[in-house]
Amino acid sequence: MIVSPVILLLVGAVIGAAALGYVFRRAGRWLLLGLPLGAVAGGFGAILFVAPLGYCTFETEREQLDAIFGFLLVAAGIALVVLPISWVAGRLLRHESLVSTTSQPTQGTFKHWWIALPLLVPTLTILALFLYYPSAETLRLSTMLSRLGARREVSVCVDNFTRLVEDPEYLDIIGRTLYMSFFIVVLSMGLSLLIATMAYLPLRGASIYRILLVWPYAMSPAVAGIIFLLMFNPSGGMVNYLSGNWFGIKLGWLNDPKVAPWTIILASVWKSMGFNILFYIAGLQNVPKDLIEAGAIDGAGVVRRFWHIVWPLLSPTTFFLIVTNVTYAFFETYATIDYLTPGGGPLQSTTTMMYRVIQLGVYNNDMGKAAAQSIVLFMMVIGLTLVLFRTGGRQVTYGV
Amino acid sequence: MKKIVLVSVVLVMMLALAVPLASTGAQDEPIQIDVWISFQDYRLDWAQDVAAEFNELYPQYQVNVTGGYSYETMFAQVAVAAEQGQLPAIVHYFEAATQDARDSGLFKSISEAIGDRTEINGLPIDFSDYVAPVVAYYTADGEFTSMPWNTSSAIMFSNMNYLRAAGFEEPPATWDEVEAVCEAVMALDDAPEYCFTFPNHGWFFEQWLAQQDALFVNNDNGRSDRATEVAFNSEAGVAILEWLDDLYNKGYLYYSGAQGGESWSTVDQAYSTQQVAMAVYSSSDTTLYTQMGEEGGFETVASFYPYNDDTGWTGNLIGGATLWLVDGLEPEVEEGALTFLLYFTNTEWAADWHKVTGYIAIRNSSNELLEEEGYFEENPNQTVAAAQLDQSTLTPATSGALVGGFPSIRNEVTAAIDRVLLTDEDPAAVLNAAAEASNVIIEEYNLLNAP
Repeated sequence: MIVSPVILLLVGAVIGAAALGYVFRRAGRWLLLGLPLGAVAGGFGAILFVAPLGYCTFETEREQLDAIFGFLLVAAGIALVVLPISWVAGRLLRHESLVSTTSQPTQGTFKHWWIALPLLVPTLTILALFLYYPSAETLRLSTMLSRLGARREVSVCVDNFTRLVEDPEYLDIIGRTLYMSFFIVVLSMGLSLLIATMAYLPLRGASIYRILLVWPYAMSPAVAGIIFLLMFNPSGGMVNYLSGNWFGIKLGWLNDPKVAPWTIILASVWKSMGFNILFYIAGLQNVPKDLIEAGAIDGAGVVRRFWHIVWPLLSPTTFFLIVTNVTYAFFETYATIDYLTPGGGPLQSTTTMMYRVIQLGVYNNDMGKAAAQSIVLFMMVIGLTLVLFRTGGRQVTYGV
Repeated sequence: MKKIVLVSVVLVMMLALAVPLASTGAQDEPIQIDVWISFQDYRLDWAQDVAAEFNELYPQYQVNVTGGYSYETMFAQVAVAAEQGQLPAIVHYFEAATQDARDSGLFKSISEAIGDRTEINGLPIDFSDYVAPVVAYYTADGEFTSMPWNTSSAIMFSNMNYLRAAGFEEPPATWDEVEAVCEAVMALDDAPEYCFTFPNHGWFFEQWLAQQDALFVNNDNGRSDRATEVAFNSEAGVAILEWLDDLYNKGYLYYSGAQGGESWSTVDQAYSTQQVAMAVYSSSDTTLYTQMGEEGGFETVASFYPYNDDTGWTGNLIGGATLWLVDGLEPEVEEGALTFLLYFTNTEWAADWHKVTGYIAIRNSSNELLEEEGYFEENPNQTVAAAQLDQSTLTPATSGALVGGFPSIRNEVTAAIDRVLLTDEDPAAVLNAAAEASNVIIEEYNLLNAP
């Protein structure tokens, strides 16, 4: 054991006490309450993740990487427990609401605060059953060597995570996931905005175009995947047949590692565009006509009117779509990839993080590694979403 | 008043959560026998039709055949169902899952369930009626652990229009001959885009390995003792990769990029659109491939799977799937399940199944029946797989591998083939890396599953 659990506990306690002591002192009272509360919270946080693991990361015979990972877990545990408590304590001490300072309801409040509890029970039950419990189970599984239907499970400490760091192939997968997702989101949203703007023009039969444009979204990914597979199959497929006849070009749509990711991007963009177009058309309908007319009277051209009036007013839609499209690109392209390039593509060139998780979990029945990688993916998407809300969310205009 | 309404709403909501769904009405008869089949196409329809006939003949039973998505996902589905105690009576597992199924403890050996009986519900039991390679693959210590059903072998289909134009009356039998035919076919004025193709599914590599009498895993392919390491990174294994790579580099081999269980359809398309002259495939689709030729205006001739000239031909192994009897069923359900298994694989149905698909007729009596009907004479392609298996010498190599985590190992093999074809990396090095990764899979599997 390179660090005894007692030391971890003490370090956590000191950090927690310092943090909460600071919060309580700033509020100007009960320092004596803040210090012990912080110490307990910090100590608990320090061992929150490592105690269930039996402090295995700090065993002397384990690699240095494991120990580093262990310290990260300790730090994460402390942060996870101490930060929310200090935030809540800070607000309570300053007599601020926990909900929001701006959206205090003025009417229609319940007389008793406890009425909220039974009303929340259905939601909380569903969340606990279908979200919290599976999440906790995933955390547990991620430290195991586990197969469905096996006689036993074996704990492997944090190997499922640390092996990933040493695996150059996994780093490739992360990079590939990021670049494919980036292009899926950007191309899909850009094209959708363009098409939505055109479909919004007052044309005869516009509603028919709009319905047709939304269709791809209504198609099941499996059906879309099979259609694309038959079209793009490098030998005998329609696309190569036509492009070969017309231009003399035949691409290895599915069997060339350089091209295959782009076929996936193309198919995913096509699949998600219907959804984006739908929302952009709805967004365009909310842009007040008089603003555009006013702009036109002031002599602004089509481009300027779009850039200075329509685009800012579409920003809530755009922001919403960015978040949903990022989620789509990370989590929901599995079926497209599996139908077009079963097995993860030539030289694994279309294997994304999500694809890898399903491959490991469902096809290889390797639940532990799948759980660990799904946690990595989850953390990445959480991080990305936070960044989006912090940066993009600030620039969104909601009022007209 | 408002308060009463509110409280009652809350109460109703809580009640709705607490009361479980009303159980469906009781119906004790007939005895329900659930069967999960890993198919979702015409093969599932066939199974459901047979089940319907069975239900009419044996009104005391009600067999419900449900289709699954694929062999690979059936495995996960069953494991989950087992945890929830929702297993059906009969499960359809592919050959690669044999070791996993035996280790799972979920299933009862068919031989054990039948015991000394010679008939059940009037249906005779005769295990000596099964063809030898089937017996070799699916028996452990001479006993059937599962009921053989769909059994195939890998064979080759040739578009004779191309071959004849290139001056060949017979499909090639060896690797060198394939290459010679390809050279001639690709030199034709109206040459196809490619000459030869195969689905990049681990099974085809296993076939080429078995032909050379080389083992896939140690301990006699996992048959004398539990397999602990792979053995496919031998000279024989490297030879396969080198031959494929050679064909690919010469522009003869079409590789669709698809790997594993979904790679079949890309080969179907290339062959039916006449973009290739030859394709190795499972005999399970002999009927379909023969039809493709009839519809496309060319003649399809089926022939033995081409083998390595340097090492000769020992034999080919089988593929396909068997039906597993779930352990711990109520005695009357087990009786019904056994009755159905015997009916489902009787002489007449086994012969019909062969005609519909091309899976071999697994019973000697079915083959005699088809022979009498003159079916084989009219459909020479349909005899190829059975003849190939019949002429195979049974060795540990041609009996097929038994190893835990087989589906994951297959993924390593197909990824290695993919890498060799698409890069300039050394085949031996790539295969060794795949072997190393596979050994980890076996080690982890045995750690968790070995008794």
